Amino acid sequence: MESARAVSGGTKEVQVSFSFLNPLFWLGVLAVASPIYLHLRRKQPENLLRFAALRFLDDQPEPKQSPRRLRDLLLFALRVLALFLIISAFAWPFIRKANHIIVKESRVYIIDNSLSQQVEDGFVKARDRVANEFGKADRETQVAVVELTANPRVISGFSDSHDLAQQKVRQLQPSFQRGSYLAAFRQANSLLANSLGEKKKIIFLTDNQENQWNENLNTPPFLQDVEVEFPKPGTPSHGNAAVSDPRAQRIFLGEKSLVNFTVQLAHQGSIRSAKLSVRVNGQEVLSHQIDLTDKPENIIFQTQWEAEPSLQLRGEVALEVEGDALAGDNKTYFSLPPVQEGKVAVLAQSSFLKLALSPDIMRGQWATHVIDPTKIAEEVEAKNDAEVLCIESSYLQSTEARKLLWRYLSNARGVFLMVNRVTPLTKGFLKEIVFEILPEEARVGGSAKFQYIFANHPIFHPFTSPDYGNLMEINVIDPIRLRSKDAIPLIFSDKGEPVFFQNPKQPGKLYVSSFGFDRQQTSWPVHPTFIPFLDLCLQNARASDQTPTSFEPGDTYVQTFATNAGVSEVVLKNDKELSRTPVTNGKIQLRLPDQPGLYTLAYEGTSKSEKVIAINPSPKESQLAYVTKPSAIDTWTLPHSPPKNAAEQAKPGVDLSLSSIWQQRIWWWLLLAGLIGLACEAVLSNLKRRSA
Amino acid sequence: MSTPTLADRFDPHTLAMLEGLDFKARYVMEGFLTGLHESPFRGFSVEFSDYRNYQPGDDLRHLDWKLYARTDRLCIKRYMVETNARFYVVCDTSASMGYRGSRAWESKLGCARIVAAAMSWFLLKQNDAAGFVALNDKTDIPQFMRPSQSPAQFGAMLRALDGLKPAGGASLAKLLQHTTRLVHRRSVILFFSDLLEPSEEMELCFKQLRFHGHEVLVFQILDGDEIDFPFTESQLFEDLETGTRRQVSPASAREKYLQRFNAFMEGHRRLFDSLEIPYCVLRNDESPWKALALFLAERRKFK
Repeated sequence: MESARAVSGGTKEVQVSFSFLNPLFWLGVLAVASPIYLHLRRKQPENLLRFAALRFLDDQPEPKQSPRRLRDLLLFALRVLALFLIISAFAWPFIRKANHIIVKESRVYIIDNSLSQQVEDGFVKARDRVANEFGKADRETQVAVVELTANPRVISGFSDSHDLAQQKVRQLQPSFQRGSYLAAFRQANSLLANSLGEKKKIIFLTDNQENQWNENLNTPPFLQDVEVEFPKPGTPSHGNAAVSDPRAQRIFLGEKSLVNFTVQLAHQGSIRSAKLSVRVNGQEVLSHQIDLTDKPENIIFQTQWEAEPSLQLRGEVALEVEGDALAGDNKTYFSLPPVQEGKVAVLAQSSFLKLALSPDIMRGQWATHVIDPTKIAEEVEAKNDAEVLCIESSYLQSTEARKLLWRYLSNARGVFLMVNRVTPLTKGFLKEIVFEILPEEARVGGSAKFQYIFANHPIFHPFTSPDYGNLMEINVIDPIRLRSKDAIPLIFSDKGEPVFFQNPKQPGKLYVSSFGFDRQQTSWPVHPTFIPFLDLCLQNARASDQTPTSFEPGDTYVQTFATNAGVSEVVLKNDKELSRTPVTNGKIQLRLPDQPGLYTLAYEGTSKSEKVIAINPSPKESQLAYVTKPSAIDTWTLPHSPPKNAAEQAKPGVDLSLSSIWQQRIWWWLLLAGLIGLACEAVLSNLKRRSA
Repeated sequence: MSTPTLADRFDPHTLAMLEGLDFKARYVMEGFLTGLHESPFRGFSVEFSDYRNYQPGDDLRHLDWKLYARTDRLCIKRYMVETNARFYVVCDTSASMGYRGSRAWESKLGCARIVAAAMSWFLLKQNDAAGFVALNDKTDIPQFMRPSQSPAQFGAMLRALDGLKPAGGASLAKLLQHTTRLVHRRSVILFFSDLLEPSEEMELCFKQLRFHGHEVLVFQILDGDEIDFPFTESQLFEDLETGTRRQVSPASAREKYLQRFNAFMEGHRRLFDSLEIPYCVLRNDESPWKALALFLAERRKFK
C-alpha cells in the first residue's frame, strides 16, 4: 500500500494513505464489483430448457461450465468474506509494514494557565513555545496539549492535525483561574495511555508553584513509563502584593447603619509600600498608603463606613504597588445585598430581649411579634411563622411551644433557643435536638467571662474590631452545662465551658445559648455588643439564599429553586448580557466567567431581585514560592515496567517470525473470523443440499 | 348434421380466445355436459332407501303402516340421506406447475385452474359447497377459503384460482398437511398437482386425509413433453424448482427417462389404488373430459 498525495487548494498537499480501513478503498471495490455482479446476474446461457421433470434425468452429466448466475447470495457473501478475512490475516504484517508509521514518541504538553503563570508573561511564553513545537514535530512524534485551568481540558488530541492544533494553541488567552496539577497530569496520562508512541512524555510548562505541588503529595502513584520534563527550572522568588478575602457586613449601632469591611493584604519579596483604596458604588471610601517594611506577610485591614441599608453595595479594593510581579491579584471585588426587614417571633420573659427587638431599636431591620404565652396554641394553629423564633427553654414545658419550635426547625426557619431553666421535660426535649445537659454535680458554679470566641464565624467576625465592643468583658452566671455531639460551640467561657452553640444538623438554623438574657444570668444585655450581636445572630439564623456570593474564576455556579419560585431562566451579565441558563428540574448550573469582577444574576420569570456575585482569583495563586524539583512527581510515578526483550527491541519494523505473528492479536482475530465464516458456509451449504 | 364428438367440442384455440377464467370454465363444463345422454341437473329429494325391522324405541312416525296392513310386519322406512357435499379444490402451485410444452394449450397450472373452476361452477350449480386451499410459497401460509353454496362463492373461487402463480420448490406434503389441518368435516378433496415430487411424507398425508374420512380425487396434470419426452436436440435442462442443470442428449437419455417416468407413474397408481383414491392423469395438450368424467362419476357417489 502506498500513500497518495492529493492537492488541496492548489498550494497545500494533503496526504491520504490507502489501507483496508480507508472508505475510499471500499468504494473502489464496490465500484469494480457492481458491474461484474450485474453482468453475471443478467447473463443467460443459450439453449437452456427449463423443465419440470428433471429428476428423471439426474443421471445425465452436469454442464461443463458452471453456472455463472449467483443463486445463493448468502453463501456467496460468506465465501467472499471468509476468503477476504483469511487473505487479510496473512497480508496483515505486510500491510502494517507498508502503511504503518512507527510513532517514536507521544508527547503531551501541559500548559499551566493559572494566574501565577502571568508572572513575567510565563503563560504567553509557554503558549508560543508549544505552538512552535508543533511546527517542528515530525510524523514520528505525536503531540497533544492540555490546558491547566480550573477544569483541565484537552486543547488538541493526538489525532488532530498539527496546523489545527497550532491554531488552537495560539488562541489561548491568560486566565485568572487556579487549577490542580494532579488533574492535569491525570488528563495527560489518560491521553498517553491511548497513544502509540514507544516513548511517552509529559512536558509541563509551569512555574512550579510550591503550594500546588504540596496539595497532592499523598496521591497514589499513577504515572507508568511516562517521562516528565520541566523545561523551566524553579523561578526565583518575586516581589508581590495581593488583596484577597474581602468581607463586608452590615452593623447597626444605635441610629447608625454601618458597613464593617475587612480585607487581607499579603505581600512578599521586595515590596516596601502599597496604596490601598476601596471604592463602593463608584465612590472612594478609603485610600491609604501602607508601609510594608517589617510587617507580617498577611495583614488584615478593617474599615467601616456608613451606608444606606436599602442600597446594594458593589465594591472594589485596589492595590497600587511598585515592583509587583503579578498584577492580576491587585484587585478584589465584593458585594453586599440591601437589608430586607425580617420577622422575628419572641416567646421569652427577658425584658432586655424584648426591648432589644422592639420597633424603636430594630425598625427597618426586624419586625417583632411577641407571642402571648397564653396563646401559644393559637400561634401553632395560625401557621403564620416568622423567619426566626427566639424562645426561652422555660416555655418548652408547654407541648404547644415544643410543637412550635419543631415546626420552625423542620420548615428550615431559624431558632434562637436560650436555655435559661431546665426541667426534666425540657431536658428530654433538648435531648431530642441533640443537646445533653450535664448533671448538676459537674456544674462549675459562679460567674465566668467569655474567653474563646469563633472569630471567623459571620456572627462574631465584626467583633474582631474593637469599635463594636469587647466580647471578652461579658459575664455569664451559672450557665447550664450543655454538651452536644453535633453542635459547634462558638463561645467558650474562661472556665472552659461552651456557652453558645450552632447546630448545623437541623433543616433550620439553630443557635443555642446556655443562659437566658436576664441580669441574673448574664451581663450581655447591658453590653454595647448586645444589639449588634442579636441582629447578626438573627440575620444568620433566617432562611435566606444559601448560595455564596464570592467565587473563583471558572467556578461552577449551582443554585436550586423552590418549585413555586417560578424562575424560568437565569441571566448572567456585567455591562452586557453574558449567558442565559434555563432552569431545569428547579436547578441551574452555569460556568462563571474567567475574568474577575462583579457580575449580576437576573432571574427571569419572577420578581425575585437580582443577585450580585463577585469573582476573585484564588489567594493561593498570589503565593509566588516555587520548587525546583517537585517531590510529588516521585510519589505519583510507578516503578518502571521491565524492559522489553533486547532482541525484540533491536528488530526494526515488523517481521514474520512466529513469535511476532503470535503477538499480533489482530492476526488471530482475522484468522478466527475467516474460519468461522468457512464453517458457517459449510453448514449452510450442507443444509441447502439436504433440502434440495 | 352429425352429433359432434367429445373431441370436437373442445377446441384449444377457442378456449384461448376466451377472456377470463369464468368463460373458460363454463366452456369446458358445458361443452362436456352437452355430450352426455343423461343430464346431471336433476332435482334432489328425500329418497326412500329400504326397510328394516321395527325395534322397540323406534319412532313410530317412520313405521310403514301400509306395509303392516299388507304383510302384518312392522317395518321402519329408511331414507337415503340427501346432504349437499362439501368439496375442496386443493391446488399445487410449485414452480413445476408452470411448465408449458410446445403442444400444450395451457400450462399445467393454467389447466388445473380451468378444470377446477369448471368443477366449482358445476358444484355450485348443484347446491354443493365448494372451498379452496392453496399454499403461498413465500410465506408458507395456506390460502384457505371455507366451502359455501352461495352464488357469490364462484366469483371468490375464480379470484382465488386466478391469483395462483407457479413458484417455489417442493411443497406438496406441506399443502396436504395444511389441508388435513384445515378441513375438519368429512369432505371431498379435488387435488390438482403434477405430483412430480417423490416424497414419503406425501404418501403419509394422503393416508391421513383418508383416515379423517375425506374422499380424495387426484388429478395429476402433466405436460405432453413430460410424458412423451419428444426432444431430439441435445440441450441444457434446468430444473424449474431447484435450478439444477443437466446437459441432456435426448437420443441417449430418452429410453431411460421414459422407463423411470413410467415407473414413477406406476408407483402413484399403486399408491392411489391402495388408498382407494380415484386418480386420473390430465394432459395439458388434450381435452380435460377424462377428468370431468371421473369427477361426475365420483360426485354421484357422494350424494
